[in-house]
Amino acid sequence: MANHTAPTHRIFGLFADFEQAFEVIAGIRRYEVPGITVDDVRIKSPIEHPEIEDVLGERPTNIPKFAFVGGLFGLIFGFFFLAGAQANFTVQPQGGKPVITIPSNLVLAYEMLILFGVLATLIGFIIGARLMRKRGPFYDHAVSLDQIGIVVERVDDTQRQQVRDLFAKHRVIDIFEENAQ
Amino acid sequence: MSSLFGNILKGWTDYTKGIEEGGHHEYEHMWGMVIDLDKCTGCNACSVACYAENNIATVGEEKYVARQSMQWLRVERYFDEPDIDPGAIDDENAMQERGASFLPMMCQQCNAATCEPVCPVAATYHTPDGLNAQIYNRCIGSRYCANNCPYRLRVFNFYSYTDENGAWPEPMKQQLNPDISVREKGVMEKCTFCIQRINAAKDKAKMENRQVTEGEVKTACQQTCPTQAIMFGDLLNPESKVTQAWVRQQIKLGKYKQDRENPTLRGYRIFEELNTDPSVLYLERVREE
Amino acid sequence: MSEAALKHLSETQTKDIDENIAWAKINRDVLRSMENPRRGYWIAMAISVALFSVMIYAEVYQYIYGMGPALLNTSHMWDLYISTFVFWIGMSHSGTLLSAILHLVHADWRKPIYRFAEAMTTFSLMTAGIFPVIHLGRVWNFYWVMPYMTDRGIWPNFRSPLIWDAFAITTYLTSSVLFLYIGMIPDLAICRDNTTGWRKKLYTWLSLGWHGDDRQWRNFRITYLMIACFLIPLAVSVHSIVSMDFAMAIMPGWHVTTFPPYFVAGALYSGCAAIITLFILLRYFFKFEEYMTFPILDKVCKLTFVIAMVWSYLNLVEFASVWYGHDIPSKEVLLAKAYGPYAPFFWGMIAFGMFLPFALLSKWVRRNMKLLFVVSVLLNVGMWLERWMIVTPTLSMSYHPWGWNIMWPGWVEWAMVGGSFGWFGMLFLIFVKVFPCVSMYEVKEMVFHRKRTIYEDVDEMMVLHKGAPTAVEAGSTKNGGS
Repeated sequence: MANHTAPTHRIFGLFADFEQAFEVIAGIRRYEVPGITVDDVRIKSPIEHPEIEDVLGERPTNIPKFAFVGGLFGLIFGFFFLAGAQANFTVQPQGGKPVITIPSNLVLAYEMLILFGVLATLIGFIIGARLMRKRGPFYDHAVSLDQIGIVVERVDDTQRQQVRDLFAKHRVIDIFEENAQ
Repeated sequence: MSSLFGNILKGWTDYTKGIEEGGHHEYEHMWGMVIDLDKCTGCNACSVACYAENNIATVGEEKYVARQSMQWLRVERYFDEPDIDPGAIDDENAMQERGASFLPMMCQQCNAATCEPVCPVAATYHTPDGLNAQIYNRCIGSRYCANNCPYRLRVFNFYSYTDENGAWPEPMKQQLNPDISVREKGVMEKCTFCIQRINAAKDKAKMENRQVTEGEVKTACQQTCPTQAIMFGDLLNPESKVTQAWVRQQIKLGKYKQDRENPTLRGYRIFEELNTDPSVLYLERVREE
Repeated sequence: MSEAALKHLSETQTKDIDENIAWAKINRDVLRSMENPRRGYWIAMAISVALFSVMIYAEVYQYIYGMGPALLNTSHMWDLYISTFVFWIGMSHSGTLLSAILHLVHADWRKPIYRFAEAMTTFSLMTAGIFPVIHLGRVWNFYWVMPYMTDRGIWPNFRSPLIWDAFAITTYLTSSVLFLYIGMIPDLAICRDNTTGWRKKLYTWLSLGWHGDDRQWRNFRITYLMIACFLIPLAVSVHSIVSMDFAMAIMPGWHVTTFPPYFVAGALYSGCAAIITLFILLRYFFKFEEYMTFPILDKVCKLTFVIAMVWSYLNLVEFASVWYGHDIPSKEVLLAKAYGPYAPFFWGMIAFGMFLPFALLSKWVRRNMKLLFVVSVLLNVGMWLERWMIVTPTLSMSYHPWGWNIMWPGWVEWAMVGGSFGWFGMLFLIFVKVFPCVSMYEVKEMVFHRKRTIYEDVDEMMVLHKGAPTAVEAGSTKNGGS
């Protein structure tokens, strides 16, 4: 690949036929475009495709970690917050009941576990899914309707035409291109 | 923040003790009562005295019938099987001549009160005097405590009685007891064993650097009872009449089932078996026919 | 749709959804439902607002005069407020059932109908949350139940089931709003792409820059799954905690160990019945016959029936355990329910809650929309009576004979109960016009995956019988788009 120039372009192709789009990804996996790997590919789709994950390879997310940490924090903080509040509130003892009531605090700590777990999951989702950012140039309304888009990143001048050919072979509808610099 | 968490470990072993292990509480007094039902004539003087002493609102006939009355102390009447014509039972004027028994009921000041743990804002709590106290300022009126009181001895301000059309039109406001607050609408209230009198006696004893003596505190109902059916005193004081009566009747606090040697003793506590541990002892031969 | 066409549909519709439905049509139909409210909508809105105004009037009246006009009394400190609170909390469980539990078990028929069920969850929680507040004697101090730090070091009482309620409802409301919202983000992006004006601004803001790339979808799927996993135990715990308002009390008829499962089953039951009601209404008014299909309705009805039977069983267990437990006060309360002054309501609950669900077994009832609508409403009437029969007879016959009495709720209470339906209706009516009440992307997924499954089966047969076709040949027949 010594004669390849620096990668400068992004190419975005829109496909109406999902299977054809999957074939494009399969083609890239088979190195039909030298130098482009499946790591350079993103898809934009109106629906969720668990089956594509096999093709695109492992792309781990951190959301379960967020949920776990949030839940754990909620549980521990919840319990000690309540127990601490009760331990400072001995001016109001109640007949027959201990000051720090473990069963009731467990009930409440359980609720706090879920509350903080859900909130942490939400934060993890916003961070992990890159939400609340600019959508970028490659967005077409057809993606929210019924077409699937494939974005190939880090394409240099020599690969451009090969990617376009690959797209065209699989009945691409529309191609957008952007100079990444 | 440091104090929020700091106290947990300091008092953990104390704080997690329930009543079975003695609980986290050191009582200065344990006010208790003995009511001799065989002496009670059902004259209702205690109830009237309670109204006067504690600034309780009178609600009028209509609301009384709707059971929205504010009685802290009520004398309940129970009759034997009616000996009148069964057809006339619904007739209000057809009262049977005999077989009535009277039960003056005021807050039983339970030591394991069912009303206390259910209050969402801790407006009802247990004082170091063994009283079940209600903080009117803190009460938000969720009324859970009243629902959970098996004796139905908590009353609620369903209306506001403090205005001109309320319980004390001018100049009746002059007769209000200045030692105790007048409650607004939406607040739960109940018998306090005349806590204003207890506090006055305690303050006096403290100033004179001594203990509160037996007979120094008299509740309004006790003071008024013409047959002296009501006794009041400190159960922690072994000399007090109340303690002696409890010992005589072989009734102990902190139990839901008394192991008495003599089954013919008259003393009993109401709903003792619910483990509420009430502080009021009633004396009457339980008739089971 | 005409009567004849409907009849034809009721006979021919055998699949949960037509796999060949065009995706553009899905978008179009759902987006259409959000536009141009017709006269029926405004009438429904007017009724809801009127009911809600009555509630506001009653609340102002109660604020000024106290709890007296509600005719609560020394024995009946709680009445319709708390029973209606439990009723609305119960309604909220259906959405969680449909969206979380059925999501985990991969029941994809939930997809066209879960969105409005989840909205129902959120709004019935918002309705339920009103009741513990308005039933307070000093409503202006309601925030005292929140655990906040003050200089005075005063805290709420964490032992009280009412505080548990406050925690549980806060958590449940937050989580279910987030669940509803996160599940809606891809749809909000569709709305963003197809609207103009204030709607475009709103959806642009709400869709958080969703553009549907694989990273977003992957995170989305896991987030949705995680929150579903959080929500299921949460929903169970919320209604258990609500039942502990009663079960933790000492009163006969309330102090029952089977209350938590009993309440959870009752909650799912009334929620499912409400789903049927709203299913029929949305299907009729928004012409969603192609998404809310008869086979899906059948499945919801069967689910409702099963849950009704669970509820009935737990009901009988409760009666039996009281009977054999031979705790005299509890037994007397039970007998008073059946023979006492509230007996008509008790037997109404038994009739509507236990016997009426058998009507759901009849296909004729399930195809007769008007009748099914009435049945589903009556099921919920039964469930409302159930809650009332939990709260009131116990209070009218507690331990102490002096407390025995009968009460009939005052106009203020009835106004609040009626007004809560107005408030719920108002929120729901606003929702269906602002947000898509059928999940567009999930209907697409359902169509796509079902179709793919069919073709995969065909492929396998071809492999078995004729040898494998090339991938391109097979792929060219599988047109995912429209």
